[in-house]
Amino acid sequence: MTDLDLVLGDVRRGMIPAHIYNDEEIFRLERERLFGRAWVFVGHTSEIPQPGDYVVRRVLEDSFIVARGEDGEVRALFNMCLHRGMQVCRAEMGNASHFRCPYHGWSYRNDGRLVGLPFHKDAYGGEAGFRRKGQTLLPAPALDTYNGLIFVSLDPDAPPLRDYLGDFAFYLDYYTRQSESGIELRGPQRWRVKANWKIGAENFAGDMYHTPQTHTSVVEIGLFREPKAEKRKDGCTYWAGNGGGTTYKLPPGSLEERLRYVGYPDVMIEKMKRQWSQAQLDVIGRDGFMVSAASVFPNLSLVHNWPRVEDSEDVLPFISIRTWQPVGPDETEVLSWFAVDAEAPEEFKALSYKAYLMCFGSTGMFEQDDVENWVSLTSTAAGSMARRLLLNSRMGLLEDSTTVVPPLPADRFAGPGEAFVGYGEHNQRHLLARWADHLERPVEKLAQVEVGGAAAQNATKAVSA
Amino acid sequence: MTAPTNTTGTRAVGSPLGGHASRIQRAGRSLPFSDERHLQAHHWLVEEAYLLDAQRYDEWLDLLADDVHYLMPVRVTTALGAGYDTSPGMAHFDENKYSLSRRVARFRTEHAWTEDPPSRLRHHVTNVRTFATDDPDHLVVDSAVLLYRSRGDVREAAVISAGREDLLRRARGGGWLLARRTIMVDDAVLRTQNLAIFL
Repeated sequence: MTDLDLVLGDVRRGMIPAHIYNDEEIFRLERERLFGRAWVFVGHTSEIPQPGDYVVRRVLEDSFIVARGEDGEVRALFNMCLHRGMQVCRAEMGNASHFRCPYHGWSYRNDGRLVGLPFHKDAYGGEAGFRRKGQTLLPAPALDTYNGLIFVSLDPDAPPLRDYLGDFAFYLDYYTRQSESGIELRGPQRWRVKANWKIGAENFAGDMYHTPQTHTSVVEIGLFREPKAEKRKDGCTYWAGNGGGTTYKLPPGSLEERLRYVGYPDVMIEKMKRQWSQAQLDVIGRDGFMVSAASVFPNLSLVHNWPRVEDSEDVLPFISIRTWQPVGPDETEVLSWFAVDAEAPEEFKALSYKAYLMCFGSTGMFEQDDVENWVSLTSTAAGSMARRLLLNSRMGLLEDSTTVVPPLPADRFAGPGEAFVGYGEHNQRHLLARWADHLERPVEKLAQVEVGGAAAQNATKAVSA
Repeated sequence: MTAPTNTTGTRAVGSPLGGHASRIQRAGRSLPFSDERHLQAHHWLVEEAYLLDAQRYDEWLDLLADDVHYLMPVRVTTALGAGYDTSPGMAHFDENKYSLSRRVARFRTEHAWTEDPPSRLRHHVTNVRTFATDDPDHLVVDSAVLLYRSRGDVREAAVISAGREDLLRRARGGGWLLARRTIMVDDAVLRTQNLAIFL
């Protein structure tokens, strides 16, 4: 048995070797076996509404131009000139019909096709020496969208995104499909924290237990009325497909009363009623649960809270979408967006944005205290003592691995997957079990693309298929 | 070219929450350094920096007008000629007095973990230029600020560099109040764990 087998075995039984939160070797495996394969969120179609609009986003070190072509199609193009490897786009957003490499002047249309190659005939003898026709910036091996959320995978054989999300799509709709128009995304705020990327993903996936402690201050100042310990543990955590999250228990009432309780105006509630399935409505109206934080494996998280944004009793809900983009074993770039239903009234959008700024993101009063903890954990995990410590992540399980409370039956929770009321680390274990599944499986040999050679066109086809 | 600093006051108007912000703009060239108004504005900024370093935030709040708009856009890297260098519709701070007062109130609780133990802060303020406006009770003041933020013992300190455009309003009973501030941070990706500080 190798050291890795031991680590993964411990993780699978809910005992976490503390060093996995700051370990070069683990990070190398994550880069290759996890981020080399999984679907990774890079942006939303509302960020690039017009032909030529683009944003530049990364999957670890790999920079992709996520662009809408003149044909309206969204593509993710590897941001590396086919000639000498320069970045062909050095801005992070904008609108362009072409990207021209500053080094030797090769230029590409916004669909990736190579259209300008200075001195093609003089230098290469034209097509006979370099086949310009059919050459494109390397597309991401796989790209797919759900509710406008754009994901890429570096694995050409990745399963369809919808299959990958599985039943989590049911919950994703609460955040990203409150009306037929879906969300518009603003931002992201970007900042770097000296914390391992997994900690945030685990926290958002299921850590209701930290809320009353870490976030005491936001209750004390009247920002958010919910997280008091007694109230938080009445909520449930759920896991479905490749994601899971937390909920709050709402006071008794009808669907409409409960949606009003978290601050939605009637005009939005009517749209939700038309948009969501009966089961989606029942989770709120019949069962009394409202989604809060959630994570999709590996590093996409969402949050939905409803703070007070003015000196009144009214609350306003907001939605944030974020990725925990690994920079190294001890550093993560957070990209945090504000999301709001595109059909929401303008006044709602403004106040929801204010609610977001007060709670999450670079200045958010929730987020500030989270990151302080995660930086501290990461720094402590680097040493040799951390290699002797198996952190207990078995909350919600007895020694014989039966659950402390039974899962919610279908007549008390209408959503798919498995849900438990109260504190537990079920979702963190789900997340890390998937992490272990990826880390133990070596990657296939990478297909290579030969630029401009006779074999090039076939090879390109193979990758983009 | 990035937008010249003498237009930053108009950014408040474009921000989603800046509707209430004072629209007063600078008039003319910067005042001589010997001008009494410049001396007062510079003095105000240095006193404010002292309060922010010492985290005496209740006293700092008293320096803010009731209709203050406190804005820190998110900077983005865009091509030369794109015409914008901030993220449309997004900011780090887009605050009024109520939201700032909640931030200050949070630091007063015993549970704002991110500042317990507190950071060691130093706001270095320089490049101060003061401008008259069409209203004798208002001044526009540009400054540069470099914040050094050190936490714990051996963690690398965070450094935040920014330009600021302030609108100062003469207070009844003397002194000046901050009526509008736009903070143009010089990083697109912040290198600090959060903005549990003020600039």
